[in-house]
Amino acid sequence: MTVANMYKEKGSNPYRPWPARITSIIDLTENERLFELRIIDESVREGFQFESGPFVELSIFGVGEAPISISSAPSKQGFIELCVRNAGDVTGALHGKKCGDIVGVRGPFGRGFPFQEMKGHDVLLVAGGLGIAPLKSLINHIHDDRHDFGNVSILYGARDPSEILFRYQFDMWKHRDDFDLILTVDEADETWGDEVGRVTALFDMIDIDPDNTYGAICGPPVMYRFVIDEMRKKEMDVDKIYMSFERRMKCGIGKCGHCGVGHQYACIDGPVFNYWEAMNLQEAI
Amino acid sequence: MFFRVMDTSRLPDLVRGLSRDHEVIGPVAKEERFVFAAIDDPADLRLDYDTTLLPPKKLFFPPEDQMMRFRVADNEVLDDEVFAAPRVLLGLHPCDINALLLMDNIFLKDYVDPYYKARRDTTLVVGISCVPTEDCFCNSLGTDEAHWGFDIFLTDLGDRYFVSVRSVKGAELLDDFVETREITDADTAAFQRVTRERKDKFTQDVDTSQLPLLLDAKFDSPVWDELGERCLSCGACSMVCPTCYCFNVRDDLAPDQKTGTRTRLWDSCQFSEFAAVAHGQNFRESRASRVKYRYYHKQWGYLSKFERVLCVGCGRCSTACAADITPREVIAALAKGGVE
Repeated sequence: MTVANMYKEKGSNPYRPWPARITSIIDLTENERLFELRIIDESVREGFQFESGPFVELSIFGVGEAPISISSAPSKQGFIELCVRNAGDVTGALHGKKCGDIVGVRGPFGRGFPFQEMKGHDVLLVAGGLGIAPLKSLINHIHDDRHDFGNVSILYGARDPSEILFRYQFDMWKHRDDFDLILTVDEADETWGDEVGRVTALFDMIDIDPDNTYGAICGPPVMYRFVIDEMRKKEMDVDKIYMSFERRMKCGIGKCGHCGVGHQYACIDGPVFNYWEAMNLQEAI
Repeated sequence: MFFRVMDTSRLPDLVRGLSRDHEVIGPVAKEERFVFAAIDDPADLRLDYDTTLLPPKKLFFPPEDQMMRFRVADNEVLDDEVFAAPRVLLGLHPCDINALLLMDNIFLKDYVDPYYKARRDTTLVVGISCVPTEDCFCNSLGTDEAHWGFDIFLTDLGDRYFVSVRSVKGAELLDDFVETREITDADTAAFQRVTRERKDKFTQDVDTSQLPLLLDAKFDSPVWDELGERCLSCGACSMVCPTCYCFNVRDDLAPDQKTGTRTRLWDSCQFSEFAAVAHGQNFRESRASRVKYRYYHKQWGYLSKFERVLCVGCGRCSTACAADITPREVIAALAKGGVE
């Protein structure tokens, strides 16, 4: 039974977090770590099905909860990876945990990227800063089913080289010819051998087939408009450009009201929307 | 639905009968106003009340509601049961009955909220006809009559109640505790007359035609800035609203720091931090954007999912607002393009 059915058919308390053990912690940057979690209950662990893009509520009793997008691919069974910036009470408490400690998760919640629909097409992924966290799930999922996709391009920008996340993986992929990966930073240092400038400037470096390309965007709120402009200049369809929104998803299940964006809730109607939907969503971009 | 007639003098019998196996909650006087409270003596029940300070949502979705007890060391839930005793909510007006039905869409669909559901499942609803107040505009929203959402509904015909019986449970309670008789043509005629007379007593008429479209078309209207200037962001409108369901969650640790409780609390989209996320971003920093969101969500967001607006026209927010912002004024201003 999938977790969604446990909630929706069995009536499991959707506010009750499942204990999960921290099985690995990797320092990605000074402020960001990648936590690998293993849900302790076997049936929940096996039922934890999702498409790339959803999030969990990370629950640390005594502190609170925070929505964190899932960075690992659905094809990675048995473990969940969360890329977490130390930015608040809950994420701060998580950063204080060590391997073997137990935290809680609720989820997976929300609508992800349309992976099945994207199959057979080219994909252009654009990430800014921590926005790579949910896109990493999609990138890894595409990677695992690479033969089902056409050209895959990844444009990823960060403020400076020290803030590039998953650098070890990208360094590995840069040498592969089945991913077009371009990294850029606003401010380079002497170690940097990639591009310098905004992620939007990278669009001049890529060729895309607009009728056959899906877009996937995630980054800081200010970034969306500019990236969409570039995609539209390349004549990509409005309903093939997908983006993930960060809002204050507190309950994750469409009740608490905090993640309202226009007439929708990011937690259940999103967090992934296509541009046509976003255009029809007040406060979205 | 079937109908009975009950003498108003029999009401204490009904209250006493219901009290045998249920906690009976109904409107009672509190200073100059009314509140829903436990009825110990049938004489305390004030079915002639105008409206209550807080809506009945507090009985299903309390202002502070413990969700679970937990243990810190292994992040384990110790207890998430909700204790809900059998209750009868006696004397709900149609607006409040309809409001609960709107709340049901949120709390009982998709991901079922176990705390709300437990209380809803164990609570019987007895409705009572009302007399319109000067602030209410349920007639403009089609919520001035309740067609479902109650077990029994009493329409006051003066010396007797026209009793609409909706559920098996309601029929049983009537049978068990109070003497009723079959309706006659005269009763039905009186019921129709009373209903008509009541309709004529509404003083407010809020034109909600094309409101969802207006809210989108005039999203950047200066009306919102004017309202934002006046709004105090106190959240009173949300607290007294029978359909506002937003909440926050708080963890409290026991003195030994080893266990604790997770509690949810009423929240309001009017509070400045409501839409703030980590690293300093606040999606609704201005008061104008928050006032606008409250209307946008109620009159369009909810409608987009459930085909009804999230407002029953009870008028409580108009009464509670210290800045005298009323739905009637907001909607009219939006239609015209300026605040009067």
